[in-house]
Amino acid sequence: MSEIAAGIAKASRWQVYIPASLRRAALAVLLALVCTGLLIVFSGKDPLVAYRAMLTGAFGSFDRIAVGLNKATPYILTGLGIALCFRARVINIGGEGQIAIGGLCASWVGIMLPLAHPVLAIGSALLASILGGMIWAGLAAAIHVGRRVHEVLVTLLLNFVALLIVGAALHGSLGEDGAGFPQSPLLPAEYWLPKLLKGTQLHYGILIAVVIAGLSHVFLWHTRYGFALRVFGSSRPAARYAGFSPAASTFTVMLLAGALAGLAGGIEVLGIHYRLIEGFSHGFGFNAVAIALLGALNPLAVVPAGLFFGFLETGALAMQRQVGVPSSLVTVIQGLTMLFVLAAMASANRKPGS
Amino acid sequence: MDAATLDFLVSALRIATPLLFAALGGILSERAGVFAVGLEGMMLAGAFGAAIAAFITGSAMLGLVASLACGACLAGVVAIVTVRFGAEQMVTGLAANIFAIGLTSFLLRSTVGRGQAPVIQVPLLQAWPIPGLADLPWIGPLLFQQPPLTYLALGITVPMFYFLMRSQAGLTLRAVGENPQAAYAIGGDPVAIRIWAVLAGGAIAGLGGAVLALQQIGTFTDAMTSGRGYLALAAIIVGRWMPFGTLVACLVFGAAEALYLRVQTIGLPISSYVVQMLPYIIAIVVLALMGRAARLPAAIGTAYDREAK
Repeated sequence: MSEIAAGIAKASRWQVYIPASLRRAALAVLLALVCTGLLIVFSGKDPLVAYRAMLTGAFGSFDRIAVGLNKATPYILTGLGIALCFRARVINIGGEGQIAIGGLCASWVGIMLPLAHPVLAIGSALLASILGGMIWAGLAAAIHVGRRVHEVLVTLLLNFVALLIVGAALHGSLGEDGAGFPQSPLLPAEYWLPKLLKGTQLHYGILIAVVIAGLSHVFLWHTRYGFALRVFGSSRPAARYAGFSPAASTFTVMLLAGALAGLAGGIEVLGIHYRLIEGFSHGFGFNAVAIALLGALNPLAVVPAGLFFGFLETGALAMQRQVGVPSSLVTVIQGLTMLFVLAAMASANRKPGS
Repeated sequence: MDAATLDFLVSALRIATPLLFAALGGILSERAGVFAVGLEGMMLAGAFGAAIAAFITGSAMLGLVASLACGACLAGVVAIVTVRFGAEQMVTGLAANIFAIGLTSFLLRSTVGRGQAPVIQVPLLQAWPIPGLADLPWIGPLLFQQPPLTYLALGITVPMFYFLMRSQAGLTLRAVGENPQAAYAIGGDPVAIRIWAVLAGGAIAGLGGAVLALQQIGTFTDAMTSGRGYLALAAIIVGRWMPFGTLVACLVFGAAEALYLRVQTIGLPISSYVVQMLPYIIAIVVLALMGRAARLPAAIGTAYDREAK
């Protein structure tokens, strides 16, 4: 019985950790920026000039901000799902494949189903993308739960299969004839996600992402499902004694994560490209893991973490154009931030009381 | 056996070579209890080191040394974060891969490229036919007319087996991966052993990158390992953490990809994408069939803390 009490106490104590974990995330970002600043010096440029170009590149005009917000949308959505998984200590790194399948399903509906009304059209395409992501994540969960294969391996290997399925579809029935690049034909205009602000590129995706972040927060902290999930994550024995089924908990978080990643894929297709493009989800899933960590697995904090990555990427392109610092520096910042967050999280867990 | 079959087998062996280096390196790390998800990045670092060093110095030998060093450097980052700080190993490996992709791409542009993506060409390592054996029918062209790193890859499988399964040091290393407390009790230092195992594994995985850069492609391009490290990870598990089993798994994956390259030319009625999926599907199916029998080293993924109970 004491184990249950300890598990529940630990689950609720997470809340107290949050400010500290966000401080650690901020420190990790700062350290990563300092390290990459040294790399900029090494490449013979002035880091302050480069970072200033990055800032103006990200926030210099409303169009730039719109691009950053659009880029952040799939990161926030996928990061939310992965944060929920990590809360339950289910490590899902299959975001990339789930996004790819989501985008595939949305474009398939867009091409095969001639719906004339935009609400119906967009609604059914996004629903298809959610279902597609859930199926892909559910497949991973079924192999993991049913056959005891480590979830990291299953989700990782399924990423490659998903990307190849998208490739096969684009070379088969969904491909555009004579495009020269593996892509689908343009979707009918009814399926295009409308702009949030007329005359800009900003579409409704960011609004959807922020609303879902709020819902995830409520789900995690104010419902008994969220509570069960946190108990499951902090102590497996406590969850078992309390009567929560491990298989059900694993399936729940995986399906939720798959739904969110699939939706991210659908929004990418309907909001940005208006068609399916081979490799459109490339790198999203792994960056989403970084964002979930950076947001300290806290749904509301995943939003700024995703925005940070989105603006970092738009800023880096401007930095490359203006200062000549390679934009791959962004990937260095992302990787280093992740490493610093991991080290900081782990060392804090090792010293109880910090 | 006809010429086409022979060509197919040679191609399978060629594709399996970089996988084999990475997988053997990964076995060292995983047997000591540290998940080797960072193999992709270590291979990439090795390929980068090999290509840059061979390009600047003109020496393939120095390229190999650089690939060992670069692989080990990235492994050092992984070792510090996982073994010293005790961070979640899978996610750390992933972070190391992202870091490696960014850093190699950045360094390529800022060192030799002056801000642009440069084209660096290095001469490919040529085949070393072994006198006498190379003229044997079938077996000769398959096994004895290979470039040097292929001999090395096949050659280190045997000492790796003896080191891991038959030597005292290998026993200690495996003990750390199974039960670090017990290994500590009999006088081993789990932290040091894990760090060394990860470093050595990274160096060997770096050689896998050198195979790509110096023996197969002849240059370095961004993210050129394109998932081979993850496939090597799957080969380790399919091979049940044993050097020879892993060798077989690498050859099977190599054969699957060699088949993919031939699907169009021989006109098989299947999509080349489906054939390309084969290695991943084989890995998933084998893992699912093995189920609980796929017994990982017991302490893998856990952090060892001497003070903790």
